[in-house]
Amino acid sequence: MLPLGLLTAAQGHPMLVELKNGETLNGHLVNCDTYMNLTLKEVVQTSPDGDKFFRLPECYVRGNNIKYLRVPDEVVDVVKEQQQTQQAQRGGRGGMGGRGDHGGRGDRGRGMGRGGRGRGRGRGG
Amino acid sequence: MERLNLSDAAPQGPGALPPGQGQPMMMPPGPPPVPQLPPQMFTTAAQLLDLTDKKLMVVLRDGRKLIGVLRSWDQFGNLVLQDTVERQFVHSEGKALWADIERGLFLVRGENVSLLGEIDLDKDDYIPEPFKEAPVEQVFALKKQEEAAKKGTGKRRNKKLAEHGFEGEHSGEAIL
Repeated sequence: MLPLGLLTAAQGHPMLVELKNGETLNGHLVNCDTYMNLTLKEVVQTSPDGDKFFRLPECYVRGNNIKYLRVPDEVVDVVKEQQQTQQAQRGGRGGMGGRGDHGGRGDRGRGMGRGGRGRGRGRGG
Repeated sequence: MERLNLSDAAPQGPGALPPGQGQPMMMPPGPPPVPQLPPQMFTTAAQLLDLTDKKLMVVLRDGRKLIGVLRSWDQFGNLVLQDTVERQFVHSEGKALWADIERGLFLVRGENVSLLGEIDLDKDDYIPEPFKEAPVEQVFALKKQEEAAKKGTGKRRNKKLAEHGFEGEHSGEAIL
């Protein structure tokens, strides 16, 4: 799973976003796109020095301003579940075609590594 | 992907002719062939393949040091780090201290990474002298002092540099 895949899987979860200027935003992720633009709700904004706090009901972040995101550990499990259901659907629909498609996918997502691919092979074969 | 470097030969395409038959007889002597990288090495981000599922230290542009397991990455150098700790060092008031802070799962935007490298697990538990482990609160307090002091000197330095025509990072951006 690519980093942005993790981000989409984190929708609905609470997260901390630190911006390049040092501000942090604590809130629930509502939506995101491939630029890493985000919309958050129920946000607490903290100033770079950590001395001022603001409550925002919702906010939009342009992706380029992000330094990093901290997401809950459970999101990894969400991603794993999503991958498993996707693979099951693909396996159910068609024999060889499905597998070929899966092979390509595995190669593309190789950043995620052996875990995901290994499981996929086991199911497919 | 296997580890490759500059000295490895680029693979021969199917159109390549065996040596001795490729050159016409009257070919003028051209410049020597430029060494070619194997195509697998053309993207820098692809080198992260070797580091996947390894324990890394990532240093961000703001100087923060994150230690975690690299689980995923993409063509932008965005990184997913699992079981991350932030390691803080302070060297002030004659004391050299460090502390680890548990941070969990990180998604770092690639632009903000200044360097990263694999951690030698055999040497991981040993932090060189004179640094000593200390409670997070203590290190954090000292760090804050250090930053406050640096803020003053930074301003003065930027002023001096500006006189010589140098502009600091973010100097052109509006600060809200």
